[in-house]
This record gives sequence, structure tokens and C-alpha cells, in this order.
Amino acid sequence: MIITNNLTKKYGDFTALDHLELRVKEGEIYCLLGANGAGKTTTINLLLGFIQPSSGSAFINQLDVQENLLETKRFLAYIPENLMLYPSLSAVENLDYFSGIGGKNLNKTQLEEFLEEAGLQSDAFHKRISSFSKGMRQKVGIAIALAKDAKVLLLDEPTSGLDPKASNEFGHLLQKLRAKGVATLMATHDLFRAKEVATHIGIMKDGQLKQQFVADAISLSQLEKAYLDTMEYKTIAS
Amino acid sequence: MIRKTINKELKELFRDGRVRTSLLIVLLLLGIAVWISSQQYQKTNADYAAAKVSEREVWDNQGEKNPHSAAHYGTYAFKPKYPLSLVDQGVDKYVGTSIFLEAHKRNEAQFSAATDQTGLARFGDLTPDFILLFIIPLLIVLLGYNAFTKERELGTHALIKSSGAKGWKIVLGKWTALFLPVLTITVVLLLLAGLVLSNLQDYGVFQWNSLLVLGLVYLLYYAVFTNLVLWVSQWTKRSGISLVISLSLWIIACLAAPKAASNIAEARHPYPTRQEFAANVLKDKDAGIDGHNPWSKEAKLLEEQVLAEYEVDSLQQLPFNFSAYLAQKGEEHEAEVYFKHYNYLKEQYENQSGTYRSLALLSPFLPARFLSMAIAQTDYATHWDFSDAAENYRIATQEFLNNNTAQNTRYGEIGYKATAAFWQELPPFDYNPPELGQILKNNRSNFGILGLWAVFSFGLLFFTTKKNNDVTI
Amino acid sequence: MLRYNFKYESILLFRSKWIQVLIGILIMLFGFATYNGQQKTQKRKADIEKVTAEIRTSDQNMLKLLDSVEHGLTVTARPWTIPNTPMAVGNYHPRVASKPPSELSFLATGQSDMFTHFVKPTVRGDDLALNFSEMTSPVQLLFGSFDLAFVIIFLLPLLIIAFSYDVLSSERESGSLRLLAAQPILLYKWLMQKLALRFFWLAAITTATVLLVFLANQVPVSNNFSAILSFLGISLTYVLFWFALAFAVNLWAESSAKNAVALLGLWVVFVLLIPSILNQLGSTLYPIPSRALMVNEMRTIKAEATERQDVILDNYLRNHPEYAVNDTTQERSFWHSYMASQNLIKKELEPVLSKYENQLQKQQQLLDHFTWLSPAILVQRSMNQLADNGSESYEGYRNRVIVFAGEWRDHFLPMLYNNQAFSSEDYGQLPEFTYTPINNQSQSSVLVILLCSGLVVLGVGALRFYVSSDEKHSII
Repeated sequence: MIITNNLTKKYGDFTALDHLELRVKEGEIYCLLGANGAGKTTTINLLLGFIQPSSGSAFINQLDVQENLLETKRFLAYIPENLMLYPSLSAVENLDYFSGIGGKNLNKTQLEEFLEEAGLQSDAFHKRISSFSKGMRQKVGIAIALAKDAKVLLLDEPTSGLDPKASNEFGHLLQKLRAKGVATLMATHDLFRAKEVATHIGIMKDGQLKQQFVADAISLSQLEKAYLDTMEYKTIAS
Repeated sequence: MIRKTINKELKELFRDGRVRTSLLIVLLLLGIAVWISSQQYQKTNADYAAAKVSEREVWDNQGEKNPHSAAHYGTYAFKPKYPLSLVDQGVDKYVGTSIFLEAHKRNEAQFSAATDQTGLARFGDLTPDFILLFIIPLLIVLLGYNAFTKERELGTHALIKSSGAKGWKIVLGKWTALFLPVLTITVVLLLLAGLVLSNLQDYGVFQWNSLLVLGLVYLLYYAVFTNLVLWVSQWTKRSGISLVISLSLWIIACLAAPKAASNIAEARHPYPTRQEFAANVLKDKDAGIDGHNPWSKEAKLLEEQVLAEYEVDSLQQLPFNFSAYLAQKGEEHEAEVYFKHYNYLKEQYENQSGTYRSLALLSPFLPARFLSMAIAQTDYATHWDFSDAAENYRIATQEFLNNNTAQNTRYGEIGYKATAAFWQELPPFDYNPPELGQILKNNRSNFGILGLWAVFSFGLLFFTTKKNNDVTI
Repeated sequence: MLRYNFKYESILLFRSKWIQVLIGILIMLFGFATYNGQQKTQKRKADIEKVTAEIRTSDQNMLKLLDSVEHGLTVTARPWTIPNTPMAVGNYHPRVASKPPSELSFLATGQSDMFTHFVKPTVRGDDLALNFSEMTSPVQLLFGSFDLAFVIIFLLPLLIIAFSYDVLSSERESGSLRLLAAQPILLYKWLMQKLALRFFWLAAITTATVLLVFLANQVPVSNNFSAILSFLGISLTYVLFWFALAFAVNLWAESSAKNAVALLGLWVVFVLLIPSILNQLGSTLYPIPSRALMVNEMRTIKAEATERQDVILDNYLRNHPEYAVNDTTQERSFWHSYMASQNLIKKELEPVLSKYENQLQKQQQLLDHFTWLSPAILVQRSMNQLADNGSESYEGYRNRVIVFAGEWRDHFLPMLYNNQAFSSEDYGQLPEFTYTPINNQSQSSVLVILLCSGLVVLGVGALRFYVSSDEKHSII
């Protein structure tokens, strides 16, 4: 699970993330909404340990990220916005490589099972990634998470650039992972998809978490209004 | 349209840290190279002047002596350094600077700088020609390899295409933007060299028009590289691949081809070894008149001829000393033998040049290299010219000395000594290198090849654009 | 991680045709270079064999002539060449002092294109008359030779640069680096493994191609096993150095473009600039005095000696009575005084000549202090040494020939001053020249220096992790 305590990131005078308090428990899907530069990707980078916080701390599976850079990565899986795999390797080979370098040795049947579980069609298993659509690549990304038996899943704009069908399929996959007890944090612009898949939703702006909702307690139109109000507030203030 | 592209490309280039750094480094290196070369140039010329004066003094002050002894004592011809060697040192380091002129023997120039240096000298020197010939083309590769690929990678390619701009105009814009910095560097360097040279003492030989032609050769050479690099960038999908291909072109043209050409030329048209050459000369010399051997068959033959011509019975009756006449005839025969064997060397070199020319189709470096050396008067041909002039002077000197003996002595007389003042009558060795017009005429084929490269590469770049317009991003 | 990195890096390299292209290029480069080198070596061998054969024939003629003379027959040769006088033999029947190519001479042309491989010192000639420079077109010297040393010193680093300049940056630019960085691995370890793998492949291909090419060119591999091992060892350590450099640059710089510029810049610095600057520095600090002025000095000494020839001879014989102990005739020919004055000239010239030798030696010493600045220089010197074609080799050869020329002269001098005839019995006693290569530098020290510089570079690369953890420079 994911915990951040007063997590703050400053670049000189600019505050990218301002005392973020976030809790994502097992079996929860937390969607972070917000415009570009709101601090969503900064949050994910801090959770991955790619950058260091100016103050505060982040925890993955009860471990402080900064103190356990390698250890925490054993529990998490990450799918970047534009998931690039090795184009001249096949789906099975990419999966084998990414789980292998992390220390997981899997045999061919296991690899294929994970890909199947991630929803990739079996005729694509041995095709090179260069011929894959973004949706297919993301399925391989999910398979990497599955193979890793990740407790935490970090997603950065996973549905941007997906067609509605692929996007819908991706939503189902996330539900499957949720059922396994995975804690998912997903940064997105996509209000509709957020409402569809999330258990919890937060709206960010200027590095601050402005509002939080339980997804079931709010309708899509209410969410949209809340989002726009938050954004509006900014324009008035500035 | 073209101006906009140039502006944009130049802005991009100069805002890029790597471009600024590389330009700065190249300019710095050029400055150092010009400075070092001008120091060397001045030192060599001072040495040359000193040696020339002291050599003449030695000759003039040899006192009363038999002219043939003086001929064996000999004199030296020293090779001067020409002003443009400041820009291109050419083969100067590898050829000797002084030729010993003595009786009976044509000597080769001795004491090349390279034999007086450590093995490191073979890596090359930090001279302007090194930067002009190697580093600036490399700079063109580094500045231009992503001229087109970066647009493709950023997606701005589609934007430009959709604006309806003509392909060739964009190419021309990019071409000019890449060529301008190179043009600036070249002009700055040549101006610098020109100014340094016109402020030196012996400014007399230096001509601005040679420098101008030299500049044109280099600009043509850079135009070829600019064309090739842009062409590669246009036809490759990724910057990485474009860089690797352009770099390979540079390696082949500037590093590999000259060395391979030199090996192939040597294997096909080898020079004899020094010992072999000497043995061959000796063999031919022995077949003719030897001035020191009046008993040989050839000498007897000459004796009969001369007696018949002057219609006298004995050598004593001749109006001149036959021994000296024989010596001169021997000299002439020997000179002929040397002429033949050195001509063979020249022929071999001409053949080797043919190999270089045919391999120049793989490398624009080769014609540029040869032209640059030729204009700077540091090429092999100039050295040959000097060595031939020295040989002519040697022959004339021998004649001058032998005539003195022939006219002042009678046959059989020994122990003749010319007066101490006589030596000053020998005209000094005065060598003038070939003029620019002559050099250009001799190097027509190199000009042709470089021109061909330019035409071919311009064609490649501009005639393949049209097709490229239809190629999708 | 190593196993997976190894497996998939290899697959990737193979599928992107890198390995195939590399094999092709290396076979071509090594093949052409070895072929060239072997051709040169063969020609050199043939030249020496030819001249040795010529000497053998001329010796037989000489013996025949001697035999005739000793039997009182008249001979048709020119009088001063009849070999019954020691000076005729000393001048017209010299021995060949040759420097035959070593079996690995093809590795590096070194100075072998500039200097001659055999001379025939005579009693008449002074040491300066021995011209050690070879008759070559200077254009050839300027361009240099396409030999194995060139391929390894100049081209191999460029191949490595092309092979590794974007190992990290291309992953960053394509985005796969973020995915990798989210795995529980240390990125610099991962990068090191990736480069190590490329090194492994390049090393394996190099070794295999070199051996293949050697076998195809009939290089006697088994006779020179340890030397070839040194050659491979030095080449591969040099390759390792460049990989270390690529590693450091990959970690320090940011984009592929910057990496490429940085690595090529370093190539220019190490391979072109440092050698030429050191060379320039050597000749500026310890300039070789003008040879033209030496020429005049030499002539003055010679002229003076010629004028005083008779006095010189008297003094000479007073100093060396042993030369003329058995002389009963007291005959004095041109040669008697000439050889005596030659000796004096030699002595007087020594300080003049040693100026040149000293300056050159000082230059060499300066270089010895600074060779470690550029691995290219180190490798060039070791290759030249393995091939026995370096400056030191030729200097050694020159010195030995000069010693031999002295022996040759000294062999005939007592005969001359004793006015002794040369007979066929004396033929067997003629001194012979044998050349043995000098070896003054151990190749292992080169290996150690190269390895150390590689480690230093690696250290500089790793420093990146300790000096700044600032994310502006984050490698992700």
C-alpha cells in the first residue's frame, strides 16, 4: 500500500508538490485528477524514488522509499504514460527480460500464463513489440506487474491515446488486480475513466491535494463540477 | 522562405551548447596551430638564410684549389620554406631540405625532419592543414547529422511539409545554415594566415591570390561534406543512424582511403630500395664514360672521335686539356644516367598518382589534400621541381669547373690550381618554385575530381529531395 | 540480472544486425591490414634475400679473381678493384648489414617505411655516408600505412563509440529507461553489464577475426604464441579503456547527441591531439639543431683534415704503432693518409653528431614521462615494439651498424698499414653482421597502465553517483 506523509518537492522557489497526504490501501484504486503541472507525475516519481523529496516521506508497503530504494521496487509495478518496451523483442521476451533482471526466473508456460491473464491474445505472444498498439503494450506492462506479484501499481496516464474499447478493457484489468488486493495509484486527465474504475478520487492543483472523494459516493456530473470548480478557483485566485 | 529556414537553423545551432563548445574548440585549436606553424616557419627560414650564407662563404673561401677537387668538395642547395606552408605543411616533413651537389653524383635531399623526430611524429601534427582537412569535416558531421532527422523525431517535419514549403528551399536553407559557420571559420583562418604572412620579413613571395585559391579549394571540399551529411540526414529515419553513417563516411574519406590508397599504390608501383637504386645507377654508369678512367673502352672511343674532329694526331695537340674534356663528358654521361633513373622514379610516382586519383572516387579528401599541398608548394611535385633545379645547377657547376680546367691547362699537366677569386664567379643557386598558374594547370585532374564530387553531391542532395517529398514521415 | 541482461542484450544486438555488421567490418579491416602488412614484410624479406644472394655471387667472383691473382694470372678487372688489396675488399666487397623483418612485422609499419633495412658499410665511407633513410614517396609517408596498429588505435575506438554512445540515452529517449528504473536494480550496474556484454562481444569477435585472418595470411601463430597473446591483450585492454570511457560519458552526459559529441571529442583528444601536442612540445623544448648548419660545420672539419692529411697520418701511426708493426716496405698510398684522416674526422664530428642524438634522446625521455596521457601512444609504442619496427628498434639497428662499420674498418686497417695483401685465406675471417632485436619495455607494464587508466575513467563515471544526487542530473 501507499502512504505519503507531508510529501513536498520544491525546485528552487517553485513548489511542485505541497505537503501531500495520501493513503491507498490494499484493493483500492486511487485516481489522481488534475491539469498538467498539478503534481501528479511528481508524486509518482517520488514514490518510485526517481527524485528525492524536499521534505516529508513516502512509504510503499511500510518501507520508506528513500531508505529502501531497491527494496520498495520489489513490491511495485509501474507503467509509464508511453510504455516503451524493446521493439525488436517479442511480448514473451520482453516479459522474461523485465521480470528476469528483477530476479524472477519464469519458465515459458508461466510467462504465457501471465500474458494471457493480462488479456493479450495468444497469437501475439511471440510477435515483436514493434507491431503492437499502445493497448497491447500496456497489457504486457500489466503482465510484468502480475509476474512480479506487485502489491502496488503506479500508473501514469494509462488511458491517454487508447481507443474507447481498449480503454474499457484496461479498466477491467485494473478491477482484476484490485480483486487480488493490489493498491493502485493512477494519475489521469480522464474523468470518465476515473469514475469508472476508481474506488477513490483526488483532485490536485498547484501541488496540493484539493479534494478527495469516495468514487461510489459521487456521480460523474458531480465529479466534473467539482473538478471544474477547483480549476476555476485557480483562475480567480491568480 | 529560405532566409527563414537559415535563421531558424542558425538560432538552433547557436543555442545548442555542444555546437558552441565545438566551434570554440575548433577556433582555439586553429589559433594554436597557426601560432605554432608561424613560429616554425620563422625558425626554418632563419636557419635556411643562415645556412645559405655560410655555405656560400665556405665555397667562396676555399682558396687556391684544383677545380675538380672543388667539384668533389661540392656545394649545397638548400630548400626554402614557402609562405603558404604556414597553412599546409604537406610532405615537407618527409622530404630532405638540403641537397649535396658534387661531382659525378646526383644526391637526394637529405635530413628530413621526420627522421629527426620520435615515432610520435607519425600521428600527425597540430597544424592548420590538420584542422582544415580532418577536424572541420568532422565538425560538419557533428553539426549537420541531425538537420533532418531531428525534425522527423520532433514531428516538426510534418508541420513544415503541411505549410506547403518547397522541399528544395528547405534543403537550401539548412545547407546555408550549416555552411555559414564553416565558411566563417575558413575565412577567419585564411585571413589570419594572410595577415601573419604579410607581416613577416620576406613577404615578397607570398601572394594573396594563392591564398584565395586555397580557400576556394577548401570551401569546395566542405561543400561536398555538407552535401553528403545533409543527404544522409535526409534519408535516414533516426539521428543515431544518421550520425553513424556520416561518421563512417568521414572515416572512409579522411582516414581509411588515404592509407589504403598509399598501400595499394606502393604495392602496384613500388619504388626501388635505396640500395637497389644505387646499384642500378652504378651499373649504367659503368657502361659509359668514367671521367676518372681514361683507359676504358668508352674513353678510348671518345679520344678517337675528338682527334678525328680536330684533325690532330695526339691529345697534346688539342687546344684544350683532354682530361678535363673527358671529365666533363663523363659528367654528362653520369648526369644522363641519373636523369634516366630519377625519371623512372618520377614515372613510378606518376603511376602511384593514378592510383590515388582512381581512389579519389571514394574520398573527396584525396583531391583536396593534393590540391592544398600543391597550392601551398609543399607537395611532392614542388620537391621534384626543386630537386631538378638543383641537379641542373649541379650540371652547370660541373661544366663551369671543368671548362676552367680545360681552358687553363694542357693535356698531361697536373697540379693545376684555380685562383682563390675564381670561386666567386660561380653564379649562386637561385630557385623559384612554379607559379600558381602552372600549379593549377598541373593539377587539373585533381580539380576535376573535386569538382565532380561537388556536382555529384549537390545533385544527390537536391535531386533526391523531390522524391523525398512524397515519402511519408 | 546478469543472465537476463546477457541473454537479451545479445538477442537485441543480433536482431539489430549489430553483431553481423561488426563481424563483417572487422573481417574486412583486419583482413586488409594483415594482407598489406604481410605483403610489405614479404617484399622486405625478398629485398634482403636478393642482396644477400648478390653478395654471395660477387664473393664467388672475388674468390675466383683472387685465385687467378695468386696463381700469377693476369685479370681484366679495373686495377683498383682487384681484391688482393685490403682496401679493394673493404670497399668493393662489403657485407650486408640487414635488419630482417620479425615474424610479426606486419602488425605495425612503425618507422619501417621511412628507414632502410640493409646497408653495406665500406671502409671508405664515414658514418654519415650511411644513409639510413629509405627511398619512398613522401606522400606515402604522409598518408601512412593501413596496418593492424592503425585499425586498432584509430578505427576500433570509433567502432566502440558507434557501438555504445547511446546505450543509456537511447533507452531514456525511447522511454524504456523509466520502466527499467522501476525495477529493483541499480542502474549503473545494469549499464555496466550492458557495456560489459558489448565489450565481451567485441573482444570475442576481435580475437576470433584476428586469429582467422592470421591463419589465412599464413602468420606463424604457434611460433609467436606469447607475442600474439600480448598483442591481443594490449588490443583488448585498449578496447576496454574505450568502453570505460563510453560508460563514464553515458553516465555524465545527457542526450545521445551530446554523448556522441563528447565521445568523438575525446577520440580526437586521445588519438590525434595529445600525440601531436606531445610531439610539438618535444621538438619545441628540445629542438633539433639545424641540419643545414651541421652540413657546413662538417665540411669545414673535413676540409681542414684533408689539408693536413700527411701530418695526420704521421701522428696516427705514432699513436697506433701496432697497425704497422709488420710493415717493412714503408709504402704510403692514398688510402694510408685517407683512412688516418677519416679517423680524425670521425672523432671531431662526434660532438657535432651527438648534439642531434642527445636532443632526440631528450625528446624521447620527455615522451616516456607523458605517454600515459594517451593510451593511443602507449598502444602504438607496444605494437611497434612487438613488430620490431619502432623508433628504438631502428636506433638500435643504426648503432649496431655503426659499430659493425667500425669493426669492418678496423679489420682492414692493420692489413693496410702493414702493406699486407688480401689472400683467399683471409676471406673466412671477414666480420659478419648479425641483427638481434632489442626488447627494452615489458608489454605487461603497458597492460597495467591501460587497465589503470580504464579504472580511473570508470571511477570518474561512478563519481557521478556520489557527487551529485541532484535530480537535474538524474540519469533517468
